[in-house]
Amino acid sequence: MRRVIVAVSIAAFTALLAYATTVAGALGYLGLETRALARMFLALAYNPNLRELTAMSPAAVAAIVWDFRGVDTLYETVVFYMAIISALAIYRGVHKVGGGGSVGLSLIVRVVTKLLIPMNIAIAVSIAVHGHLTPGGGFQAGATLAVVSVLLAVVYSVNSFSRVGVEVSKAVALQSTGLIAIAAVVFTPLIYGVLTGAQAYLMQNYVKVDSGFHFPAEVLGQLISGTLIWLNIAEFLAVSFGFFTVFMLLSLREEVVKQPLLGEGHGS
Amino acid sequence: MIEEVVRYVGLAIVVAGCSVNLIGAIGLNRFRNFYLRLHAATVSTIGGTFYPLVGLALVAFSSSELGSARFFMGGVLLVAAFLLLMLAPAGSHALARATHRAGVARPEPAIADHLSEDRGG
Repeated sequence: MRRVIVAVSIAAFTALLAYATTVAGALGYLGLETRALARMFLALAYNPNLRELTAMSPAAVAAIVWDFRGVDTLYETVVFYMAIISALAIYRGVHKVGGGGSVGLSLIVRVVTKLLIPMNIAIAVSIAVHGHLTPGGGFQAGATLAVVSVLLAVVYSVNSFSRVGVEVSKAVALQSTGLIAIAAVVFTPLIYGVLTGAQAYLMQNYVKVDSGFHFPAEVLGQLISGTLIWLNIAEFLAVSFGFFTVFMLLSLREEVVKQPLLGEGHGS
Repeated sequence: MIEEVVRYVGLAIVVAGCSVNLIGAIGLNRFRNFYLRLHAATVSTIGGTFYPLVGLALVAFSSSELGSARFFMGGVLLVAAFLLLMLAPAGSHALARATHRAGVARPEPAIADHLSEDRGG
């Protein structure tokens, strides 16, 4: 009886959800006409005739994320960075990553992972540098690369981090490099404006009606969409090594981290 | 003519993959212990995902109305199929091996357990 009720309620929920989202148009996505906001973004994402307004990026999401609402994304990146710094603060005093004698999972899994990791890195870099052309971008590429850290920890054991030369301090340094690169791109128009006395805005990408400053939209005939490619690559560094840091700390053995986490006055 | 044949062969593989998926789902519900259910799940990943991807690649290759984009689509499907063929067995192998080592799932009824005999257990 109970199973019948569960089955009927699941079926009813699915049917109601399907009805609400399609026939009744509850979410407002019914119909083929594009909404005014979407039309604006589609018209401005890549439009060489409107240099004051466009982001020169065929990927409309990248245009919105790093150009139209770029400051929002900048703050998100800073929040992510602060979260990593908090994790480091909690784990302060933990010096040793690894230890113990385990060698990881069986040979089959290790060989497959060895084949997988180079592909994973290549795809992550490709997502990052094509972020202004195709769906994806810095954060997605960083999350893709972070999978490598989980694979290393699970398949090859935590000892493998030191074996392949990845350490928490190096990961934090690379992550900070990414954030500094983002800041450099963001402040370049301001520095240019201060040095030349011209009008320029923070995080400016192309010419505005009252400012002639712009990043190059194309280099050697390749579309790089001004700041978008630099911001994507920098975000890729910041996010991937941020995740690396956290996953390395989270994969530590309990006996390694217990003493430092409890504090100096405990456990002695 | 040859395009039609390739397309219908591809669609037939997709349909066969769907039936294999259904069989795998029934097995996942009905089988008695962890190892048998894992077997049913891998039937779905290889028979129900790898073969349909190959079939869809055939459909993509035979769709001449797509122009040269069909080779791109078919190639992506074949790469995805290859990755799945490589990764899915490794994943289920890791699951089965870890479960056996930890001893959390008893294979019952077990006719033979050569792995624990090899380990001297």
